[in-house]
Amino acid sequence: MIRIMSGADTTVAALNAERMKLEVISQNIANANVTNTPEGGPYKRKEVVFESVMNEAFKSQDGNNETPMMVKVGKVETDETPGITIHDPNHPDADAEGNVTLSNVNIHEEMVDMIMASRAYEANLSAMKYARSMAVQTLRIGRS
Amino acid sequence: MIEGLFNQTNYVATKKMMDATTLRQEALASNIGNVETPGYQRMDVSDSFKKQFSKAISQGGKEAFGDLNASLEVDSSAIARDETGNTVDLESEVLQLGENQIAHQLESKIITGSLAKLRLAITGRP
Repeated sequence: MIRIMSGADTTVAALNAERMKLEVISQNIANANVTNTPEGGPYKRKEVVFESVMNEAFKSQDGNNETPMMVKVGKVETDETPGITIHDPNHPDADAEGNVTLSNVNIHEEMVDMIMASRAYEANLSAMKYARSMAVQTLRIGRS
Repeated sequence: MIEGLFNQTNYVATKKMMDATTLRQEALASNIGNVETPGYQRMDVSDSFKKQFSKAISQGGKEAFGDLNASLEVDSSAIARDETGNTVDLESEVLQLGENQIAHQLESKIITGSLAKLRLAITGRP
């Protein structure tokens, strides 16, 4: 198979992975103040772990084994560290002693993760643009 | 006789360079895609190809370019950028994307120029 746009499948995989990470981060931020989930207890933040696999579609010219690595979301883990417990007897989810445990979402960390993921997403878009313009340029070879 | 038309040293050398440039794009796409993958080591076109290519250029002769094939390898001189050992520096990779594209444009201009000269020689018209 001719790879006219070099690295396009690698870049698409990365765009998908970063987008999924952004979705998980938005979910964390949206649920940052939830103290009462259907499973009981406060919301526990989720995080994605990336892993990369060899690109099967890539064939090197001299049979050497190195291929570009395609990234994917390996797993979505739940962070089990407990959130802080505050004393607020007026809170609707306060227990008998007036304490309530908050979710373990740290907004500052989520914002930093979000910035990293957006940055990576934009860099991948840039790679896709360059791959496309190189392919267009290739097709112009020989045209006067 | 037909091979003679397309065997000029510059033409052959530029074709090999263009193969390496498109291969490099694959490596850069892999690096940028894996900027957040724990422990990922950046890759690039192999050093041995670069050395052999420079040698072939300085020694002249199109036979030297014959079996030269670019391949990917892990960049062993890259340093870790985060605590997981990921060696990708995003700014540097994006910069190299730009350089790679300029190199590709240069190579395609050279190849188009060689073909245009041939066309001029054969048909008398550019």
